[in-house]
Amino acid sequence: MQETKVIPTDLQAARSFAEEFLGKVAAKGFADGDLFAVRLALEEALINAIKHGNRSDPDKFITIAAEVNGEAIVITVTDQGGGFDPDHLPDPTADENLEKPCGRGIMLMRVYMDEVSFNDRGNQVRMVKQRG
Amino acid sequence: MTPMEHKPFVLTVQRRDRAAVLKVSGSVSLTEAEPLREQIDQLVAEQVPVIVLDVSEMDFICSLGLGAIIAGHLKCRHHCGQIKIVRPSGPVRELLETTRLTKLFGLYDSVEDALPRS
Repeated sequence: MQETKVIPTDLQAARSFAEEFLGKVAAKGFADGDLFAVRLALEEALINAIKHGNRSDPDKFITIAAEVNGEAIVITVTDQGGGFDPDHLPDPTADENLEKPCGRGIMLMRVYMDEVSFNDRGNQVRMVKQRG
Repeated sequence: MTPMEHKPFVLTVQRRDRAAVLKVSGSVSLTEAEPLREQIDQLVAEQVPVIVLDVSEMDFICSLGLGAIIAGHLKCRHHCGQIKIVRPSGPVRELLETTRLTKLFGLYDSVEDALPRS
């Protein structure tokens, strides 16, 4: 069953949501590798929503729709920012970008999840992780 | 151990000759990256030649935490210092390899291996 939650643009609120949701994932018996992957991807999506989407604006909110069933985990994170083009991002693993402190979140979501897609505006990411 | 049963986040610093060993235990999650950044900044401000990050008991790190380490690495350059990473656990090692940050820091098997030669 899908649950939807709206949280403020705040790292502590994001962390609390992530811990609560990951507890539900763990209760479904997903393997440690799946849990690590989902935790990482969820936190990266929330970081992007807070810092890049809502630009840490406390008057904006983040909407999270999350579902875990026996076989898969589906998470959608939507911010209130203007969006971005996920197809035109620098490669953070390129030699010239290795020393940049930011810019790894989207790549990590794509590596650790089975499906990652964005809406046209670029302010919503949907991620799917199948049971490994 | 699942990510929901991780060790508590703890930072400990041990001073050595021309080095500081910063042990990072537990998860560097959304709210722990900033304390990690502050601790590294403090060591950088002291111009410690080598900061050894012992991550053998770190079970998770997000990109904010990676960013804190990279920012410290850049600041260390101002005094020709270095950050070295020791014994990442399996998933953390995999993350460092995926991001190719192993090329930036190199990984060491022990704190002693990472300390400057006297």
